[in-house]
Amino acid sequence: MKYFLGIVAAALAALTTTLPALASTPDRVRVTGEIVDTWCYVTEIMYAEGTAHHQCAVWCAVGGIPVSILGEDGNVYMVLKVEGDGDNVANPRIVKIQSHKVTVDGDLYVRDGVRYLVVTQVADDHGIVKLTHDEYGIQPFGE
Amino acid sequence: MTLRGLFIAAAALAISAGPAPAADEWGIEHEEVVRFEAKVVDLLCEIAGDCPPACGAGKRQLGLLKEDGTLIPVVKNFDPFAGAVNDLKEFCGKRIVADGLLIADPLMPMMVLQFKREAPDGKWSRANWFVRDWAAANGVARDSEKAGQWFYHDKTIKAEIDRDGPFGIPGLKPDNE
Repeated sequence: MKYFLGIVAAALAALTTTLPALASTPDRVRVTGEIVDTWCYVTEIMYAEGTAHHQCAVWCAVGGIPVSILGEDGNVYMVLKVEGDGDNVANPRIVKIQSHKVTVDGDLYVRDGVRYLVVTQVADDHGIVKLTHDEYGIQPFGE
Repeated sequence: MTLRGLFIAAAALAISAGPAPAADEWGIEHEEVVRFEAKVVDLLCEIAGDCPPACGAGKRQLGLLKEDGTLIPVVKNFDPFAGAVNDLKEFCGKRIVADGLLIADPLMPMMVLQFKREAPDGKWSRANWFVRDWAAANGVARDSEKAGQWFYHDKTIKAEIDRDGPFGIPGLKPDNE
């Protein structure tokens, strides 16, 4: 019996060191907002919304910076998966919808202050609706 | 240990670890210069248990999992307009020493990686492997002007901007065009 318990304990120890911590139960959410570049928006190193920032957002998405949704609630949701596709680095589908206003349904995981979003359905894609180029030009270099 | 032994050990340390670099401050609000040891993990795997081999082999956003269980997404490396996946993917599941900036913004805490090495005593390298890999894939020298401004020369980006314009709306052009 002791031998059996020892094996079970060793197996459990191995599992806990090789598998990710069990994820918390996500909340089902609907988020409406703009697809933005996480880095430029959060750090405010430049103006990072709408048409003025579209080209830069494409650069950053192709460069592999995480893409987020800037929700109408002011929160930033890092997108990790879209409709079953877990490729979240320079994913061509996500590159093509930079700066779009979207409404998505998904699972929200909050950990250590970061809102991670697994999008299960893109309910609506309104295209680019925030026209900011007249005021801000082409960010960040003007060309 | 003999004096000779000490010299050999010191030389071995210099070769394996390189000079200890120090992250540059970038003047970003909430930034903190940090260096810590952590495991490289696939964020989606860690968060939702969706775990492909090799942390997605470059197709997954990566993070740093500290000993105390804190998970930090690494969103940026030292190259312009580039993330840190190319710098971290070969360390999937391994512990590294990460040197850079923690952006402790309550909106979204995140990390800029500037240097990294495998823990405990791997060789330091600058976190600039996106441009290194882009240059190799595009047949240009790593230190060329083209590589330095990769974002103006990347084929995928050019196709996007040629199709939709810099503002993302076909037909909407800058005033000077």
